[in-house]
Amino acid sequence: MNTRLLMMLQVKVAKPQDLGAVPHGTRRTVPLSGGSFEGPRLRGTVVAGGSADWQVLRSDGVLEMDLRVTLQTDDGALISMKSCGLRHGPPEIIAAIARGETVDPATYYFRTTARFETAHPAYAFLNRIVAVASGDRRPEGPIYTVHELL
Amino acid sequence: MQSRSLIVLRLATAAIQEVGTTPHGRLSIFPIIGGSFEGERLRGRVLPGGGDWVTTATDGTFELDLRATLETDDGALIHLTFTGARDDANGYFRTLPRFETASPKYAFLNRLLAVGIGEIRPDGPVHTIEEIL
Repeated sequence: MNTRLLMMLQVKVAKPQDLGAVPHGTRRTVPLSGGSFEGPRLRGTVVAGGSADWQVLRSDGVLEMDLRVTLQTDDGALISMKSCGLRHGPPEIIAAIARGETVDPATYYFRTTARFETAHPAYAFLNRIVAVASGDRRPEGPIYTVHELL
Repeated sequence: MQSRSLIVLRLATAAIQEVGTTPHGRLSIFPIIGGSFEGERLRGRVLPGGGDWVTTATDGTFELDLRATLETDDGALIHLTFTGARDDANGYFRTLPRFETASPKYAFLNRLLAVGIGEIRPDGPVHTIEEIL
Protein backbone atom coordinates (compact mmCIF):
# COMPACT_ATOMS: atom_id res chain seq x y z
CA MET A 1 0.00 0.00 0.00
CA ASN A 2 1.51 3.31 -1.05
CA THR A 3 0.20 6.40 0.64
CA ARG A 4 0.88 10.11 0.91
CA LEU A 5 0.08 12.32 3.88
CA LEU A 6 -3.11 14.26 3.31
CA MET A 7 -3.65 15.90 6.69
CA MET A 8 -3.65 15.64 10.43
CA LEU A 9 -7.23 16.05 11.58
CA GLN A 10 -7.88 16.87 15.20
CA VAL A 11 -11.50 16.90 16.31
CA LYS A 12 -13.00 18.08 19.58
CA VAL A 13 -15.81 15.99 20.98
CA ALA A 14 -18.88 17.33 22.77
CA LYS A 15 -20.99 15.43 25.31
CA PRO A 16 -21.82 11.99 23.89
CA GLN A 17 -25.41 10.92 23.38
CA ASP A 18 -25.81 7.38 24.74
CA LEU A 19 -28.67 5.73 22.91
CA GLY A 20 -28.12 2.38 24.56
CA ALA A 21 -28.79 -1.15 23.32
CA VAL A 22 -29.98 -1.27 19.72
CA PRO A 23 -30.27 -4.41 17.58
CA HIS A 24 -26.69 -4.09 16.27
CA GLY A 25 -24.98 -3.29 19.56
CA THR A 26 -24.66 -0.33 21.90
CA ARG A 27 -25.15 2.93 20.09
CA ARG A 28 -23.51 6.21 21.02
CA THR A 29 -23.44 9.42 19.00
CA VAL A 30 -20.57 11.80 19.63
CA PRO A 31 -21.16 15.30 18.24
CA LEU A 32 -18.09 17.30 17.29
CA SER A 33 -17.77 20.78 18.71
CA GLY A 34 -14.91 21.81 16.43
CA GLY A 35 -11.38 21.01 15.45
CA SER A 36 -8.79 21.68 12.83
CA PHE A 37 -6.89 20.02 10.01
CA GLU A 38 -3.53 20.72 8.44
CA GLY A 39 -1.68 19.16 5.56
CA PRO A 40 0.49 20.09 2.59
CA ARG A 41 -2.50 20.66 0.31
CA LEU A 42 -5.31 21.72 2.64
CA ARG A 43 -5.85 23.24 6.05
CA GLY A 44 -8.71 24.75 7.97
CA THR A 45 -11.26 24.04 10.65
CA VAL A 46 -13.98 21.54 11.49
CA VAL A 47 -17.48 22.97 11.24
CA ALA A 48 -19.50 22.15 14.35
CA GLY A 49 -23.08 21.09 13.75
CA GLY A 50 -23.65 18.19 11.40
CA SER A 51 -20.25 16.78 12.28
CA ALA A 52 -20.42 13.75 14.55
CA ASP A 53 -19.30 10.20 14.99
CA TRP A 54 -22.10 7.62 15.02
CA GLN A 55 -20.71 4.67 16.95
CA VAL A 56 -21.90 1.14 17.62
CA LEU A 57 -20.11 -1.11 20.08
CA ARG A 58 -20.59 -4.56 18.58
CA SER A 59 -21.12 -7.81 20.45
CA ASP A 60 -17.57 -8.87 19.54
CA GLY A 61 -16.14 -5.86 21.37
CA VAL A 62 -15.27 -3.91 18.24
CA LEU A 63 -16.31 -0.26 18.12
CA GLU A 64 -17.64 0.60 14.67
CA MET A 65 -17.49 4.24 13.76
CA ASP A 66 -19.31 6.27 11.15
CA LEU A 67 -17.70 9.69 11.21
CA ARG A 68 -19.10 12.52 9.17
CA VAL A 69 -17.29 15.83 9.25
CA THR A 70 -17.67 19.09 7.40
CA LEU A 71 -14.30 20.69 6.83
CA GLN A 72 -13.88 24.36 5.97
CA THR A 73 -10.59 25.27 4.36
CA ASP A 74 -8.73 28.50 5.10
CA ASP A 75 -9.82 29.78 1.68
CA GLY A 76 -13.49 29.08 2.32
CA ALA A 77 -14.20 25.75 0.61
CA LEU A 78 -16.52 23.27 2.29
CA ILE A 79 -15.53 19.62 2.13
CA SER A 80 -17.68 16.75 3.32
CA MET A 81 -15.73 13.83 4.71
CA LYS A 82 -17.31 10.50 5.52
CA SER A 83 -15.29 7.80 7.15
CA CYS A 84 -15.83 4.32 8.51
CA GLY A 85 -13.66 3.13 11.32
CA LEU A 86 -12.89 0.25 13.63
CA ARG A 87 -11.40 0.44 17.10
CA HIS A 88 -10.49 -2.49 19.31
CA GLY A 89 -7.73 -3.66 21.58
CA PRO A 90 -6.86 -5.34 24.85
CA PRO A 91 -9.61 -4.77 27.47
CA GLU A 92 -7.29 -2.86 29.84
CA ILE A 93 -6.30 -0.44 27.06
CA ILE A 94 -9.89 0.15 25.99
CA ALA A 95 -10.84 0.68 29.65
CA ALA A 96 -8.05 3.26 30.04
CA ILE A 97 -9.35 5.15 26.99
CA ALA A 98 -12.85 5.05 28.48
CA ARG A 99 -11.47 6.57 31.69
CA GLY A 100 -10.11 9.49 29.66
CA GLU A 101 -6.47 8.52 29.87
CA THR A 102 -3.94 9.14 27.12
CA VAL A 103 -2.85 5.80 25.71
CA ASP A 104 -0.10 4.91 23.23
CA PRO A 105 -1.99 4.49 19.92
CA ALA A 106 0.29 1.58 18.98
CA THR A 107 -1.35 -0.51 21.71
CA TYR A 108 -4.76 -0.76 20.00
CA TYR A 109 -6.26 -0.87 16.51
CA PHE A 110 -7.90 2.38 15.44
CA ARG A 111 -8.13 2.74 11.69
CA THR A 112 -10.54 4.50 9.37
CA THR A 113 -11.13 4.80 5.66
CA ALA A 114 -12.46 8.02 4.18
CA ARG A 115 -14.03 9.55 1.11
CA PHE A 116 -14.53 13.22 0.35
CA GLU A 117 -16.98 15.37 -1.55
CA THR A 118 -16.53 18.97 -2.54
CA ALA A 119 -17.81 21.37 -5.19
CA HIS A 120 -14.73 23.59 -4.93
CA PRO A 121 -12.45 23.27 -7.99
CA ALA A 122 -9.24 23.75 -5.98
CA TYR A 123 -10.04 20.63 -3.96
CA ALA A 124 -11.72 18.54 -6.67
CA PHE A 125 -8.87 16.03 -6.43
CA LEU A 126 -10.41 14.91 -3.14
CA ASN A 127 -13.52 13.67 -4.97
CA ARG A 128 -11.38 11.19 -6.85
CA ILE A 129 -9.34 9.56 -4.12
CA VAL A 130 -9.83 7.19 -1.23
CA ALA A 131 -8.03 7.74 2.03
CA VAL A 132 -6.95 5.70 5.04
CA ALA A 133 -6.23 6.97 8.51
CA SER A 134 -4.83 5.87 11.81
CA GLY A 135 -6.44 7.26 14.92
CA ASP A 136 -5.14 8.32 18.30
CA ARG A 137 -7.88 8.74 20.91
CA ARG A 138 -6.93 11.61 23.18
CA PRO A 139 -9.08 12.75 26.10
CA GLU A 140 -10.20 15.89 24.24
CA GLY A 141 -10.93 14.02 21.02
CA PRO A 142 -9.28 11.84 18.40
CA ILE A 143 -6.42 12.84 16.16
CA TYR A 144 -6.50 11.22 12.73
CA THR A 145 -3.45 10.99 10.51
CA VAL A 146 -5.11 10.83 7.11
CA HIS A 147 -3.28 9.49 4.08
CA GLU A 148 -4.28 9.49 0.45
CA LEU A 149 -4.17 5.97 -0.95
CA LEU A 150 -1.93 6.26 -4.02
CA MET B 1 0.85 3.29 7.17
CA GLN B 2 1.53 -0.42 6.89
CA SER B 3 -0.47 -3.10 5.16
CA ARG B 4 -0.37 -6.85 4.70
CA SER B 5 -1.50 -8.91 1.74
CA LEU B 6 -4.95 -10.43 2.24
CA ILE B 7 -6.32 -11.80 -1.04
CA VAL B 8 -6.28 -11.45 -4.77
CA LEU B 9 -9.92 -11.49 -5.88
CA ARG B 10 -10.86 -12.38 -9.44
CA LEU B 11 -14.42 -11.71 -10.50
CA ALA B 12 -16.41 -13.08 -13.41
CA THR B 13 -19.20 -10.76 -14.46
CA ALA B 14 -22.19 -11.18 -16.77
CA ALA B 15 -23.43 -8.66 -19.36
CA ILE B 16 -23.73 -5.15 -17.93
CA GLN B 17 -27.20 -3.94 -17.05
CA GLU B 18 -27.27 -0.32 -18.20
CA VAL B 19 -29.95 1.31 -16.08
CA GLY B 20 -29.22 4.69 -17.67
CA THR B 21 -29.06 8.17 -16.28
CA THR B 22 -30.71 8.51 -12.90
CA PRO B 23 -30.70 11.57 -10.62
CA HIS B 24 -27.29 10.43 -9.29
CA GLY B 25 -25.62 9.83 -12.65
CA ARG B 26 -25.36 6.93 -15.06
CA LEU B 27 -25.97 3.65 -13.28
CA SER B 28 -24.42 0.47 -14.66
CA ILE B 29 -24.81 -2.84 -12.83
CA PHE B 30 -22.21 -5.56 -13.27
CA PRO B 31 -23.71 -8.87 -12.07
CA ILE B 32 -21.21 -11.26 -10.52
CA ILE B 33 -21.52 -14.83 -11.76
CA GLY B 34 -18.44 -16.31 -10.13
CA GLY B 35 -14.77 -15.94 -9.50
CA SER B 36 -12.08 -16.92 -7.05
CA PHE B 37 -9.94 -15.51 -4.28
CA GLU B 38 -6.60 -16.60 -2.97
CA GLY B 39 -4.39 -15.47 -0.13
CA GLU B 40 -2.14 -16.83 2.56
CA ARG B 41 -4.95 -16.97 5.13
CA LEU B 42 -8.03 -17.71 2.99
CA ARG B 43 -8.96 -18.97 -0.42
CA GLY B 44 -12.04 -20.15 -2.23
CA ARG B 45 -14.62 -19.16 -4.77
CA VAL B 46 -16.99 -16.28 -5.37
CA LEU B 47 -20.62 -17.37 -5.39
CA PRO B 48 -22.90 -16.14 -8.13
CA GLY B 49 -25.41 -13.48 -7.13
CA GLY B 50 -23.51 -10.36 -6.16
CA GLY B 51 -22.78 -7.35 -8.25
CA ASP B 52 -21.13 -3.98 -8.58
CA TRP B 53 -23.44 -0.99 -8.80
CA VAL B 54 -21.35 1.57 -10.68
CA THR B 55 -22.39 5.20 -10.94
CA THR B 56 -20.65 7.50 -13.38
CA ALA B 57 -20.22 10.87 -11.68
CA THR B 58 -20.43 14.18 -13.54
CA ASP B 59 -16.62 14.45 -13.47
CA GLY B 60 -16.34 11.20 -15.46
CA THR B 61 -15.17 9.08 -12.54
CA PHE B 62 -16.89 5.92 -11.40
CA GLU B 63 -18.25 5.31 -7.92
CA LEU B 64 -18.26 1.62 -7.06
CA ASP B 65 -20.61 -0.19 -4.70
CA LEU B 66 -19.98 -3.93 -4.69
CA ARG B 67 -21.51 -6.81 -2.80
CA ALA B 68 -20.37 -10.39 -3.13
CA THR B 69 -20.43 -13.64 -1.18
CA LEU B 70 -17.17 -15.53 -0.83
CA GLU B 71 -17.07 -19.23 0.03
CA THR B 72 -13.80 -20.49 1.49
CA ASP B 73 -12.38 -23.87 0.52
CA ASP B 74 -13.42 -25.14 3.97
CA GLY B 75 -17.03 -24.01 3.60
CA ALA B 76 -17.27 -20.65 5.41
CA LEU B 77 -19.33 -17.87 3.87
CA ILE B 78 -17.97 -14.33 3.91
CA HIS B 79 -19.99 -11.27 3.02
CA LEU B 80 -17.80 -8.78 1.14
CA THR B 81 -18.77 -5.22 0.33
CA PHE B 82 -16.73 -2.38 -1.02
CA THR B 83 -17.09 1.16 -2.18
CA GLY B 84 -14.40 2.69 -4.28
CA ALA B 85 -13.25 5.20 -6.83
CA ARG B 86 -12.21 4.53 -10.39
CA ASP B 87 -10.73 7.39 -12.36
CA ASP B 88 -9.54 6.09 -15.71
CA ALA B 89 -8.08 9.48 -16.70
CA ASN B 90 -5.54 9.09 -13.89
CA GLY B 91 -5.27 5.31 -13.87
CA TYR B 92 -6.69 5.26 -10.34
CA PHE B 93 -8.85 2.31 -9.24
CA ARG B 94 -8.96 1.88 -5.47
CA THR B 95 -11.48 0.25 -3.18
CA LEU B 96 -12.29 0.04 0.54
CA PRO B 97 -13.41 -3.53 1.26
CA ARG B 98 -15.25 -4.69 4.39
CA PHE B 99 -15.87 -8.26 5.46
CA GLU B 100 -18.48 -9.95 7.62
CA THR B 101 -18.49 -13.56 8.66
CA ALA B 102 -19.92 -15.78 11.39
CA SER B 103 -17.09 -18.29 11.07
CA PRO B 104 -14.78 -18.20 14.13
CA LYS B 105 -11.82 -19.18 11.96
CA TYR B 106 -12.25 -16.11 9.78
CA ALA B 107 -13.52 -13.74 12.52
CA PHE B 108 -10.32 -11.70 12.13
CA LEU B 109 -11.90 -10.36 8.93
CA ASN B 110 -14.65 -8.68 11.00
CA ARG B 111 -12.00 -6.69 12.84
CA LEU B 112 -9.93 -5.23 10.03
CA LEU B 113 -10.12 -2.49 7.44
CA ALA B 114 -8.69 -3.06 4.01
CA VAL B 115 -7.79 -1.34 0.77
CA GLY B 116 -7.87 -2.74 -2.74
CA ILE B 117 -6.15 -1.97 -6.00
CA GLY B 118 -8.37 -2.81 -8.94
CA GLU B 119 -7.47 -3.69 -12.46
CA ILE B 120 -9.63 -4.53 -15.47
CA ARG B 121 -8.26 -7.58 -17.29
CA PRO B 122 -9.67 -9.18 -20.44
CA ASP B 123 -11.20 -11.97 -18.35
CA GLY B 124 -12.68 -9.66 -15.72
CA PRO B 125 -11.78 -7.40 -12.83
CA VAL B 126 -8.97 -8.35 -10.44
CA HIS B 127 -8.68 -6.75 -7.01
CA THR B 128 -5.52 -6.99 -4.92
CA ILE B 129 -6.75 -6.51 -1.36
CA GLU B 130 -4.52 -5.65 1.59
CA GLU B 131 -5.29 -5.49 5.27
CA ILE B 132 -4.53 -2.11 6.90
CA LEU B 133 -2.26 -2.89 9.84
